[in-house]
Amino acid sequence: MEVDTLNTLVTDAIWRAEELESCGRSSAAVAWAEVSTIEEDLARAHSVSEVQGRIARRGAVTAALKARDYTRAYALVDGYLAEENAPESLKTELREILEENAQAMADRFQYASRHHSLREAQSLASRLRSAGPFGMAA
Amino acid sequence: MVECSALALERNSHNPGVSISLDLEHLRSNGSLHWPRAGLNGIVQHDNNRITEDGAEVVALVLAHRHRSWRVFRRMQREEHADWLLEDIRDGVCQFVALEVSGVDRGSIAPRLSQKLVQVGKNTDVDQRWACVVGFEEPTAALHFKEPA
Repeated sequence: MEVDTLNTLVTDAIWRAEELESCGRSSAAVAWAEVSTIEEDLARAHSVSEVQGRIARRGAVTAALKARDYTRAYALVDGYLAEENAPESLKTELREILEENAQAMADRFQYASRHHSLREAQSLASRLRSAGPFGMAA
Repeated sequence: MVECSALALERNSHNPGVSISLDLEHLRSNGSLHWPRAGLNGIVQHDNNRITEDGAEVVALVLAHRHRSWRVFRRMQREEHADWLLEDIRDGVCQFVALEVSGVDRGSIAPRLSQKLVQVGKNTDVDQRWACVVGFEEPTAALHFKEPA
């Protein structure tokens, strides 16, 4: 897909996700997942040294977190950190995005955060989402 | 978006062709705004704040294209400290522009412009950082440049 088309798609998708989020609709998470996918496509289309490449990489991770798809967010960060020529400033920003999200979660669920690490809780949540409660018991 | 802009203007009793005061990097001038009428019958179906914010986005992008010849690349997520990524081509050199936009339904735009300039100043990727605030009570728009933080 052409970059101009991807830019149009991501513009529409961000708009839609923000609208749904501002109305408090639960479907906002699905809309953010779509944003994350398009941002990832844009990240593939632009090298990490380009302005648009850096925006897309941060955007893919941020949108995955807004979609509450933590496994995807961490996987994206791992991939972007491993890229050749990734500037240190971007690596720091990507780590900060995850840390800020982790801190926000720990503040929100203070009791749970005393007993489980965030990564552990997110991993459990991902397994629950993908396999359901019986899948977790297996 | 265009409909939101029309509603933001029409609910302040403005008609197509209304004069707008412009402040383009402290250079003051006047322009006029023209739009397809939206009518206020369906305004209750819209969120008040979205009318102001989306309406401001339209006026800001028109202003950016008409007076600076910028081309829109894409919208950005809130965390990027700007709403839009644009390109500014001058003398064959392309520069990236981050543009933060906001709208004010009633009252002065000056305090909001100060806030938005601080916000867009946090963007570290682009070559130029700008903020545009649009007021709808007495149509006015300011487009200002922000030095990097």
